[in-house]
Amino acid sequence: MDNPPSTSKSMTPDSQPPIIHKKDLSFLDRIYIPQIVNGLRITITQIFRPKFTRQYPEERWTPPPSFRGRPVLVEQNGVERCVACGLCARVCPALAIEVQGSETELLKERYPVKFEINMLRCIFCGFCEEACPEEAIVMSQEYELTFTSQDDAVFGKEKLLMSVEKLRDRLEFLRKNR
Amino acid sequence: MGSDGTAAKQKILRALENADTNVSFDDVLEHDMVLNMGPQHPATHGVLRLLLRLDGETIVSAVPDLGYLHRGYEKIAENCTFHEFIPHTDRLDYLSPLANNVAYVLAVEKLAGIEATRRTQYIRVICAELARLASHLVWLGTMAMDVGAVTVLLWGFREREKIQDIWDVLTGVRFTTSFTRIGGLAQDLTPECSAMVTSFLDQFADNLNECEKILVRNRIFVERCEGIGVITKDQALQYGITGPILRACGVEHDLRRDAPYLVYPELDFHVPVYHDCDVLARFYVRVQEMKESVKILRQALAKLPEGPVNAGDPKKVLPKKEHTYGRMEELIHDFMIINFGINPPIGEIYHAVEGSKGELGFYIVSHGEGHPWRLKIRSPSFVNLQPLPVMMKGGMISDVVAIIGSIDPVMGEADK
Repeated sequence: MDNPPSTSKSMTPDSQPPIIHKKDLSFLDRIYIPQIVNGLRITITQIFRPKFTRQYPEERWTPPPSFRGRPVLVEQNGVERCVACGLCARVCPALAIEVQGSETELLKERYPVKFEINMLRCIFCGFCEEACPEEAIVMSQEYELTFTSQDDAVFGKEKLLMSVEKLRDRLEFLRKNR
Repeated sequence: MGSDGTAAKQKILRALENADTNVSFDDVLEHDMVLNMGPQHPATHGVLRLLLRLDGETIVSAVPDLGYLHRGYEKIAENCTFHEFIPHTDRLDYLSPLANNVAYVLAVEKLAGIEATRRTQYIRVICAELARLASHLVWLGTMAMDVGAVTVLLWGFREREKIQDIWDVLTGVRFTTSFTRIGGLAQDLTPECSAMVTSFLDQFADNLNECEKILVRNRIFVERCEGIGVITKDQALQYGITGPILRACGVEHDLRRDAPYLVYPELDFHVPVYHDCDVLARFYVRVQEMKESVKILRQALAKLPEGPVNAGDPKKVLPKKEHTYGRMEELIHDFMIINFGINPPIGEIYHAVEGSKGELGFYIVSHGEGHPWRLKIRSPSFVNLQPLPVMMKGGMISDVVAIIGSIDPVMGEADK
């Protein structure tokens, strides 16, 4: 410990300012004209300050590698890495994932026949990515999702698959930080 | 026309009159009016409904009506593993999700007997204080807007936006963070992220002072806050109020100092206390708290030790990802923790932290299974709303918005 605990228990306020009550207001504060002038000054100076907002549809935001966008299945050499263990479906707090596995001739032996994520249920918590023992489901950088019907919102394998090259930033981030 | 016509008209009117149609007031003000305020009123900060009995514009009595945002989180918890419940805590006090994450995992860790590493404890302090700043900034903006100062709302949200950008890099999302894990964190605090926090703190003090300066000597603001919503020290203690409202009543009570958790004993900070018991005092307490949070954040960043983030308890803490991919032991632990939970010992614990609204506590009863047998959330907003009738009685309608603003309730937390 660098500081003994007693220093944090100092009772005497060192920088606590007193409350300014109505009786403490000066004559200028009371007549309110200086306040109005100050308000106008703020408005005018704001014009010359840099803008804080973003013109969204024209000006896009690039998410950092830590960003949790929509979950996708990693596709490597034309097939998904997923082995249909069902751990993502188990951990999903929103019960958004449905997996049905079957056997395959490939080295991984099992693959998902059906892999569906209901994007209306998904809460983007990233638990599926964290639980996955195959690095097969990761959170992508995509954050713009629109559907026109509830059926459209259930993403099957064809919508979920994303090639490993596109996910390089995220996979690197995960290997470094998890 | 003459008197005949008038007499005939009177006769018809008399015939129409009966007990139902004849309503007259001798004195309008002797009848109280009941006014429904909310649940969709912008000043009630969410779905709080208030039933106000009014005598003219004076409040005779007030009854808060809660439960419009009830989602049954305590019951949901009984069907989740301890790990699965973490995203639900984001949605309690949705203005400071990180603080809730920290509070929940601290309770589970206390139950399971895990101690987080030093680095994790420091990062959790940073999380909790950033969450306090974010929550108080919304309070500052909305309360100032409730009493008529819209500028501060936009400035407050501008600062909050910067905090959310930090959360974006730190946790991966801006709002529903789900960042902490039992025995650790989802990911480490990167140097890039701590640089972001530092640069935020460098400009935050000036911007906060600007917000403060525009309000404290403003006659309208002072007049609308002073002497409003008074609750005495004894009443506050009886109602079990915690947090800034209690400290504005002159009670020096801050769990960070009085029941230390994480690494707060190693950090130097001051607990602001005022004795006026009114809305204005609560304003001063919260603004001073924000300044103290800045101090805590700077110290925590300076002292942040190197080291691992996750505690070394393979049966209870999720393994490192690269080990899960390659080693059998870690793979089995990954499956066991996700499928069956961490199975803490049989027992019950209560752990509370000083959230931005007050004492945020989790009471967990475990029967030795992967999920809690019972989980009770002691949410500060719910308790702090109780004395609303006391604060409002005798006030004016326009004071109601100032009082609610000063309590700073978040209905996600009050209704659970």
